[in-house]
Amino acid sequence: MGGRTLRALAPLAAVAVVALLPLVVTDRFLLKVFTFAGINALVVVGLALLFGHAGQVSLGHAAFVGLGAYASAYCTVRLGWPWPAGFAVAGALAALGGLVLAMPSLRLKGHYLAMATLGFGELMALTFQEAEPVTGGVDGFGGIPFPSLGPLEVGDAATLYWLVWAVVGVALLAAYNVTSLRPGRAMRALHGSEPGAQASGVDVVGVKVRTFVVSALLAGLAGALYAGVVGFISPSVFTLTASITFLAMAVLGGTGSLAGPIVAAVVLTLVQYIDALIPGLPQEAAQTIQSYREDIYGLAIVLVVIFAPRGIAGLWGRRGGRGEAA
Amino acid sequence: MDELLQFLVAGLKNGSIYALVALGFTIVFAATGAINFAQGEFFMLGGMLGVFFAGLGLPLPMAAVAAVAATAAIGAVFELLAVRPIKGGDPLRIIMVTIGGSVLLRQMALHLFGPDELPLDPFTEGPSLKLLGAAVERQTLWIWVLTGLAVVALALLYRRTTFGRAMRATSIQRDAARLVGVNARAMVTASFALAAALGAVAGLAVAPLTQASFHVGAGMGVKGFAAAILGGLGNPVAAVGGGLLLGLLESLTAGYIDPLYKDAVALVVLLVVLFVRPQGLFGGSGRVKM
Repeated sequence: MGGRTLRALAPLAAVAVVALLPLVVTDRFLLKVFTFAGINALVVVGLALLFGHAGQVSLGHAAFVGLGAYASAYCTVRLGWPWPAGFAVAGALAALGGLVLAMPSLRLKGHYLAMATLGFGELMALTFQEAEPVTGGVDGFGGIPFPSLGPLEVGDAATLYWLVWAVVGVALLAAYNVTSLRPGRAMRALHGSEPGAQASGVDVVGVKVRTFVVSALLAGLAGALYAGVVGFISPSVFTLTASITFLAMAVLGGTGSLAGPIVAAVVLTLVQYIDALIPGLPQEAAQTIQSYREDIYGLAIVLVVIFAPRGIAGLWGRRGGRGEAA
Repeated sequence: MDELLQFLVAGLKNGSIYALVALGFTIVFAATGAINFAQGEFFMLGGMLGVFFAGLGLPLPMAAVAAVAATAAIGAVFELLAVRPIKGGDPLRIIMVTIGGSVLLRQMALHLFGPDELPLDPFTEGPSLKLLGAAVERQTLWIWVLTGLAVVALALLYRRTTFGRAMRATSIQRDAARLVGVNARAMVTASFALAAALGAVAGLAVAPLTQASFHVGAGMGVKGFAAAILGGLGNPVAAVGGGLLLGLLESLTAGYIDPLYKDAVALVVLLVVLFVRPQGLFGGSGRVKM
């Protein structure tokens, strides 16, 4: 079998593995971990687009996740709206937030967006905490219903898992189209050489803004899914630490591929729950791993940026290319 | 009137701290064209290392000097290990590396010194002083004195020494500076060390009032950057002006509107300046290209 056939089959195999996982993994907690991995993957796909195709960094994506989570919780619990409406509002609100943030900071040359997103993230974290009438403040927002489509409630662990990964699948398809068709080429040109892209007639600022809005939208949807899966949200979830975790996943995943970021999101999410995943792990070892979790993220960012700027996807690509040549 | 004076004192106190952190951003930005996201962690390290050296039994002045020197060394090592290996000096990658590095510095402080808030003795014991009807803590005077000294020392370094001129030359035109024999790479390392030292002075000076803690870096980073961009990024004088102004805005907001909004002021300032006047209040039009 040639490398080309293999590469065509790989995505199908990946889809099959993801889809069939609940039939093999019956442990409810474990399934929930893989559901969280899907939610993280949704955010990370957006970040990877932003990073890999628009050459920009965000340190505020946890805020978009939070915005989506609180929006959907408010719509379903306080306003009594059906879940899909809350889901849509979550995405729309996050996208709007992204637009407001991106328009001014992306007009500027340089990397002001990174600092603007950091400021935005901190401001939103403060808002989630202090806007008690809407968010429930530090005590959190509970009693959020499971996602439902009409009369169909998605309550059990396996169905939640499928719902989340189905959304990831749709997002991936959309992202694949965005990256391989005309807008994607524009974005890659942008990452290569901004003046060059501009000279060839690419609307540089427009492409950057659109990419950022899409990434914010995906984060908002992820937030709505998170709220539905967990049923309770609080400000402590949507912090800078979470934003950096997403960033570490995207950086590790690398640019130029969408599979890389997904794999990185799943792996780093599993690391987060390592104590539950290895049954015989002594309590102390689990605690040590937990206390060094953020070190792992920080180190991953530093090492990848220095030694493998294209991430794990870059390593694959190199190997794949060599295989084809041989 | 007394109330206003009291707010002004508080504002100029915090503003001095922001000014020092903003200077750190400005120095590294001038040398690399990148925002150093670890700048806030240098502030954190100043306080934590001050507590650490004082805990070893060093007299306070020596502990302070040791903390600033150690933080400067950490800044230089940080540049050598993380920033220098980036070929071509791509600002995006420098930014990413400083983000990852800031996490590592914070975690390092957490593992070494623990999660608690650590107290540091005031530099001079004694009751507050009266200044035109406002109470001024002695430590606040120390903050002003140290900020003033740091600014004067920096100005002398930049204007009077060959080393400082080489740094300025590098930030204006890197290649031209190299042509006339400046070691541009060493200047980047020096800029990180200098930025770290300024952050450490700020962290050290404020620690007796706020206590030192491993997690304060990111928050101070945002405020310091807001100050730097409010004045005009890349201009040391503007950074100081931006810092003082931000401190005053904060304390007046907290005093006359609601203390709840104090921490939001810097964030709103940051976003509004980016949106409306990215070259800053005191910056010329050429610094940030539209």
